[in-house]
Formats: sequence, C-alpha cells, structure tokens
Amino acid sequence: MGMEILGLFGLSSVFGLIGLVLAGWMAWRIVEKTGLPGWAGLGAILLTLTGIGMIVPLILLWVFAFMRWPRDEMAAAAPGASSPARPASPGALSPPPAALADRRPWRLSGLSAGGPVVLSMDGTQPAYVLTGAAAQQANELCVPDPTVGQPHARLFVSGGRLGLEDLGTPGGTRIDGARLLPEHGPRDISAARAIHVGTVELALSRA
Amino acid sequence: MDPVAWLLGLGSLLVFGIIVVHLLAALVLIIPTWRICTRAGFSGALSLFHLVPLIGPFIVMGVLAFTDWPNGEAPPGKR
Repeated sequence: MGMEILGLFGLSSVFGLIGLVLAGWMAWRIVEKTGLPGWAGLGAILLTLTGIGMIVPLILLWVFAFMRWPRDEMAAAAPGASSPARPASPGALSPPPAALADRRPWRLSGLSAGGPVVLSMDGTQPAYVLTGAAAQQANELCVPDPTVGQPHARLFVSGGRLGLEDLGTPGGTRIDGARLLPEHGPRDISAARAIHVGTVELALSRA
Repeated sequence: MDPVAWLLGLGSLLVFGIIVVHLLAALVLIIPTWRICTRAGFSGALSLFHLVPLIGPFIVMGVLAFTDWPNGEAPPGKR
C-alpha cells in the first residue's frame, strides 16, 4: 500500500514537471511575441514553485495583460518593418500630416465574387460607406462579396487624403496586410497600396 | 439524523464549494487572458478555456504560443 501511494505521488510529480516545463516554454514564447524578454514569462511560471505560490504570477499576469507592449511601440516607430508573414499593427500607419495638393478622385479597384469592382471617391461626399449590399444612397459603395459586411467600413475624403475606418465585421479589414480593428478608429490610407475588405483585395490609386 | 443523508449533504456542499472556488479562480484568470487574446487578435472567448479543469489553461497558452497573432508580433530580431 505504501509503495502504491509513493508511486501515485511519483506519477503526479512527473505530470507536474511536464506541465511546468510546457507552461514555461509557452509563457516564454507568448511574452517574446509582445517584444518583452522571454525569460520574464518563464520566470513568472517558475515563481509558482517558490513560497510566493500563485499570487505573484497572478499579479504579473494582470500587469502583462494591461501594460503597454513593446510590439505596439515598435509598430508605431517603424512602419512596414514587420515581415509579410507577421502583419504589423495598424498603429504602424503614419497619421495624416497635412492636406495634399493632389485633389484627383481616389479609386479602389479589384475583383470580388460578384465581378470586377471599381469604386470612385471624388470628395463630393465627406464620408462613404463600403458595403456588401447594393448601394442605396449616393455615399454607399458596393463590393458584392459574401465576406464583405453590410456595412463593412467607412471611407473619409478630407484635404485630398483618404481615411478608412473598420466597422467591426467578421470578414475584417487590412491595410497593406496590417489588420485594422474598429478600436483603431479612422486611419489615413493615402499612402497605402492595397486594402483588403473580407477576402476582396482592392488596389488604391488616383483616378 | 440519518448518517447517510448527513454524508450526502456534506458531500454535496463540498462539491458545490469546489465548483464555486473553481469558477472564481477561473474568473481571475479569464479577465486578463481575455485582454491578452483580444490584443493578440484572437476572440476573447478563447480565454473561456480556463473553465476547463487542468488542461484549459494549457490550451489557451498553446494557441497563444504556437500560432501567428492576427494583430502582429514583435519582429524576431528585436525580441
């Protein structure tokens, strides 16, 4: 009986050790992805072995969740620095500095499930709504595709510049590969080349 | 008092207590993990795996650790 109990404790220890190694490795990778040193994640996991127990790692988890990550600062400081496989945050897009002299209309063109799409924004409307449904009003731009929301995004024309705001649809919006989220608000896309609404790629140009 | 009924009552109370403590502990983990998941670009609902006893936290960590984050990651050279 004694040996069996000892064996049970041994088995628990083995599982505990495997769990600890696995958790430490994953914590290292997660923390690294935010731009912080990976050892900080491993250290937080190893703290559970000490007398401090679970309290300090738990506090560290909360701090980690709500702190400013270096990833966001890097993206803001170096636009387009990330590799295509790892799209940067839309924070990488520079803010609109000044009005542009070029006032030619903006054009978004691409191919959707419903056929070729050419959208023109001449600035007669201050804002346009990009939607997957048929356009009902003068300021609505239709991209007939099931992955495009109804509505999907909002486009702004101001000072010769073009802005884009995601309205939070499942299909998502990307600016040159970088994901645009509703909480990012309107972003200047005058210098962008390709916009993804859902799975539809639209090339940005001047008419 | 019937000892069997007494034991069953005590056992039920114990199970109820364990469930409540588990839910509270999971909640303390779910709130920050929800925030991490949304910042990474995943659905916050992923953090609800913390409700699964024992392996739940490992599933959440595994997804965060071994998949590309939709909202982008720090460049490998600058980690």
